[in-house]
Amino acid sequence: MKPTEKFTHRLALLAGVDLSQAYLDAIAAEIEDLDRIVAELEEFAQGTPWVSQQLQPATSKA
Amino acid sequence: MMPVADICELNLTELSKLLATRELSSSEAVNAALNRLELLESKLNAFITVTREQAIAEAKKADDEIARGRYRGPLHGVPVTIKDLFATAGVRTTAGSQILADWVPEKDSAVVERLRAAGAIIIGKTNLDEFGHGGTSTLSHFGPVHNPWNIEHIAGGSSGGSAAAVAAGIGPLSYGTETGSSVRRPASYCGIVGFKPTFGIISRTGSFRGAWSQDHVGLFARSVKDVTLGLDPVAGFDAHDPASVHQDTAAYTARLDANLKQLKIGILRRFLEGVNHEVRQAFEKGLEVFAGAGCEIVELDVPEVSYAAMTSMMTSSAESAGINRRWFRERHQDFVPHVSRGIAVGMTITASEYLTVQRARQRIREALRTAYEQVAIIASPTTARAAPLIADGVKGNGDDTRHASYNHSNLLRFPSMLGLPGCSLPCGINVEGLPIGMQLIGSWFGDQIVLNAALAFQEGTDWHTRRPALASA
Repeated sequence: MKPTEKFTHRLALLAGVDLSQAYLDAIAAEIEDLDRIVAELEEFAQGTPWVSQQLQPATSKA
Repeated sequence: MMPVADICELNLTELSKLLATRELSSSEAVNAALNRLELLESKLNAFITVTREQAIAEAKKADDEIARGRYRGPLHGVPVTIKDLFATAGVRTTAGSQILADWVPEKDSAVVERLRAAGAIIIGKTNLDEFGHGGTSTLSHFGPVHNPWNIEHIAGGSSGGSAAAVAAGIGPLSYGTETGSSVRRPASYCGIVGFKPTFGIISRTGSFRGAWSQDHVGLFARSVKDVTLGLDPVAGFDAHDPASVHQDTAAYTARLDANLKQLKIGILRRFLEGVNHEVRQAFEKGLEVFAGAGCEIVELDVPEVSYAAMTSMMTSSAESAGINRRWFRERHQDFVPHVSRGIAVGMTITASEYLTVQRARQRIREALRTAYEQVAIIASPTTARAAPLIADGVKGNGDDTRHASYNHSNLLRFPSMLGLPGCSLPCGINVEGLPIGMQLIGSWFGDQIVLNAALAFQEGTDWHTRRPALASA
């Protein structure tokens, strides 16, 4: 996916909310930065087990 | 009769003793706190709602009960304040937001229920960053909170109103919440003690969520013993909070012990490089106090912590978007603009990205679990600088939550992200007359160790006895 497509994809998650162009401009840099942050964290987390949390009642016992 | 100014100078331990022996009435204590509040509120803007009439009526009732020998414990008749994130039956609960500006809950939050059962008198609900989303207490629909040490400076956030109130002598105890650093940071900026226990010790039922996997209830006071007196009645299991943990009846006060012989305290020195010189100097002097008390100072290197601020930010951003998505879709223009934009960014984080972030979080947790096999506490300056100017805006705190780095923000963010107990306590005052804080972070359920170490520090120093000039008004 090209960077512009990634940005558009993320903005699609805000679809249905009537946001002005000025508002979108204000968050554009932060949204564009998310791809880099996630990529860094993904590399950092390599080899770590996925978090798995069951929802047994707190009073349950084996 | 004791003068109002003298009553407001009393810390919780002193006030509680006078109330129990009836040397002072709850009515006198509550009136003194309310008068102080009204005197200073135009300068501090620390409160959203003041419950004057209700508090005066409850104080009379407390006086009657104590007179009849039905003393409930150390909070009975004590004027306290609570962050306006805790639901209060019949009293509006705004969360600092226009969206809830007129909302009056039908039920008390768990913390408020327990406070009422302990006989505490709630005199007001404190100002905060909207829904707890911020670190300055300037992002409130009700305007910014001002620091009692210098009203041009921020009180820190998001529980800034609570910290400012305690520092200014408006009640000796206040309850707040922390998702990133919202108890420890304002405590540091306002020169008081701020403690947040291990995740799950205090119920969050009925308090608004910033991010469910990082939210904690915490408290502010002027001494460590005051903190434990305020912690004992509100700690405990609550089946309505999925994070709540089974625990023995709280006895943090009874177990306070300032003997620290051979306690190991870890330092993550690489993260201190960008810390302000005066703050760092005060911290190093604080370490000498611990060394003098028989503690061993251990240099640690946990490079995984350099990802903590980023991981915490991504987690809270995604979770707060989850919590606020409906309001955001329907009323995004009613949020404080900065908060609204943060939620919008959070809404663009996908589920698979959130889960990736949780893997990173797990890696940091494991690295710190190993570190805590070597030490009982990790100590650091609470914040990298003293309270910035209000005029500096949200960037004034100097945080970096968007890069893996050795920025101090990581030390501020990892405790809440991992649910570790943390205490900020005063350890100095800078040339501008603003307080400096140090934080002690324990391992999971090492709350008592943290409190004991904090007590030992206070027994060897007098920083916690300093008051802002405004507090003696």
